[in-house]
Amino acid sequence: MATVNEAPRYEEGAEGFRTEEMILNMGPQHPSTHGVLRLVMTLEGETVTHCTPVIGYLHRGIEKILENRTYMAGIRYMDNADYLSPMLNETAYAGAVEQLMGIEPPRRAQYIRLITNEMQRIASHLVAIGTYLLDLGAFTPILYCFRDREGLLELFEEVAGSRFNVNYMRVGGVLHDLPTGWLQRLESWLDKFDNSWKELDVLITGNEIFMKRTQGVGYIDPDQAVAFGMTGPILRASGVNWDLRVNRPYGAYREIPVNPVVREDGDAFGRYMCRLYEMKESARLIREAMAALPGGPICTRTPIALRPPRGETYFAVESSKGELGIYLISDGTEYPYRAKIRGPSFVNLQIVPELMRGHKMGDVVAILGSIDLVLGEVDR
Amino acid sequence: MVNIGFQIVHFVITILFFIFLVATNAVIMVYLERKVMALMQDRVGPKHYGPFGSLQSTYDVLKLLLKEIVRSRETDNAIFMLAPMIFFAPVLTAFVMLPFSPFMTTSALGTGILLYVALSSLDVIGVFMAGWGSNSKYSLIGGLRSTAQMISYELPLLLSLVGVVMLTSFVSHNGIGSISFTDIINAQMHPWWLWFVLLQPLGLIIYYTCGLAETNRAPFDLPEAESELVAGYLTEYSGMQWAMFFLGEYGNMLIVSSVATALFLGGWSGPGADLAFWHAHVTANPGGIFSVADLIFNVIAVFWFLVKVYALQGIFIWVRTTLPRLRADQLMQYAWLILIPMTLLNILVTAVLLLAVPQPYTLWVTGGVNFLLLIGYIILLTRAIGASPKGTLPPWVEARKRAARTGLGAPGLPKPPAASLPPGEPEPAASR
Repeated sequence: MATVNEAPRYEEGAEGFRTEEMILNMGPQHPSTHGVLRLVMTLEGETVTHCTPVIGYLHRGIEKILENRTYMAGIRYMDNADYLSPMLNETAYAGAVEQLMGIEPPRRAQYIRLITNEMQRIASHLVAIGTYLLDLGAFTPILYCFRDREGLLELFEEVAGSRFNVNYMRVGGVLHDLPTGWLQRLESWLDKFDNSWKELDVLITGNEIFMKRTQGVGYIDPDQAVAFGMTGPILRASGVNWDLRVNRPYGAYREIPVNPVVREDGDAFGRYMCRLYEMKESARLIREAMAALPGGPICTRTPIALRPPRGETYFAVESSKGELGIYLISDGTEYPYRAKIRGPSFVNLQIVPELMRGHKMGDVVAILGSIDLVLGEVDR
Repeated sequence: MVNIGFQIVHFVITILFFIFLVATNAVIMVYLERKVMALMQDRVGPKHYGPFGSLQSTYDVLKLLLKEIVRSRETDNAIFMLAPMIFFAPVLTAFVMLPFSPFMTTSALGTGILLYVALSSLDVIGVFMAGWGSNSKYSLIGGLRSTAQMISYELPLLLSLVGVVMLTSFVSHNGIGSISFTDIINAQMHPWWLWFVLLQPLGLIIYYTCGLAETNRAPFDLPEAESELVAGYLTEYSGMQWAMFFLGEYGNMLIVSSVATALFLGGWSGPGADLAFWHAHVTANPGGIFSVADLIFNVIAVFWFLVKVYALQGIFIWVRTTLPRLRADQLMQYAWLILIPMTLLNILVTAVLLLAVPQPYTLWVTGGVNFLLLIGYIILLTRAIGASPKGTLPPWVEARKRAARTGLGAPGLPKPPAASLPPGEPEPAASR
């Protein structure tokens, strides 16, 4: 349970008025907390002096559930951790189990993983940008973003049978091969997306009000970003060139190089720009992977009951929000002894109180939105 | 001598017309807003009730009428209950001085603009009462924001109208300016297309901007910014009380658009709105005070007035779909540092030009200079906001550049970020 920082202070203002700090409880039911985050803020006028995030309203015990499921059955529960990027979550979990067992998926499976992961990254960034602009009061971008995301979800449905909780990755590969004509449909979606991307760029990026709201707001300098363990677009927007796809490449990223998007702004605007251009980079990666897509099997043969040898492992992928790591301990049975999710949203949330301090009330949503939290992953 | 019976009939007709207009305008605007926004946002919008969903807002109104009024135990009852009425009353009253046509005028007040500004300031009281009486934190912040905003934007709103009043003194025949709406519209009739928007485009833009702020519409909808304040001063209201605020807000939009139409867009002037023409051509004249020619003329006049009003209200919707919202302090800066100096400059320049430029060229020069001022205003706006797609450099980059330029190491400078993390490490071979 949260402790409110301190009792309200009574002060004599400059004019002799007695002023009082106000404690404002934002959430867990609030239009802009992106789920069920609760922020307890101490306000002095409209300036935030303290901010305490209270989490746990969406706790479902996913880590414990994973310990009570076989390795294969656990994959499905990873969908619900970061519910905006299930493909990436599954890749992380399946990759961790593969690393534990010492198996390598076939090349085709790895390329399919790359394609679906980058699609998921685009979808997640679309939601991030759309909801961010909605927080700032612009109503239109979210509808454009969701329209484009719809195309991706339809493609997911074709390939995995489900739009949202895809349950597509398997230990040692993927579930199904790509359906006939799927690559062409993806190609045509990408062509459409190029136009939508320009549309978004024209609608949002040059808007003076948007810039005024975001530039210089929620500024994180590089040292601070590293010290707080930031990863993903937040870290890269602060000028630190760190991307797991480049620095510790896994899967097909060892063959298809990524150009990480790095900006030096460090503010909310930089984080927005980072996401926007990462979508473009992801589209490029998908195209490249589609051109180089090898044939062959999509899954290695694994025993029906997966019993990894005793040991522990840590496997991380670059999720849309940052480093998504899975730590697994195996005791040699069918169930993991311990499964720990290093959720990027949870780690990125740490810096929020630090960023809020001294900002105006209106900036609270501008900062919170730029961090791009998914409470499903924070609370797990 | 004026016919008393005719006056009474005239009064009843116009009052009913305006009350009807305020009520229907809200319904029409809600529907239009949803449909137009849907069109702009690539979706369908309401479609279930009536043809193309046109009865949707009617059903919404019925729902609101039937809804129970729920309120919190902690509210300050008298203030809480009175607030919607106090908010709505000036809106209805403001229609007293708005002329929709020579006939559709409840009272052709000589002090039109003055009364309009006075009444539009009264809204603030209702909003603040709502914020205070709700006894809720979000409502309080919303109410405070709204009060500050409405008071600040009152000034440039009034000042932007001064240019028009000065122009009437030049255009009218006797050389005396007027603040009566009817007089100002009549001053724009020679010829019928010489609307003051051609002579005062800057005035219209600033007036319209302030109008957006006065009516709490996007991008100035901070008092009810849903992502920050849930619904601002409206948070605790429900049912018909809430609808009262809603109605008042849409009524305000109607007033702002009507005033802009009357002062800048020539009121009812338009093709066919010519009384002399109809008097000459329509011979069927049953006698009495109000002839068929008058009727035709007034219908056309009201038609043109409403067309302009709805075009302006359409821009409200368009702006709302496009722009994000400003922050509270930026809003204040915008009013006090940009809008007010700009309107004062506009007044000064217009006055000097009207006096200094010789007769046949006066209007040309005034209009031309005002267009230049408008361009200057837009450039000033982008500069003052300081926004550029490249973005301003963060302090640590600037410090590094300064250090490189001067050759001195900046104290406390962060290390170059790339070096603070190890470069790509090889994969742990054992597990692969």
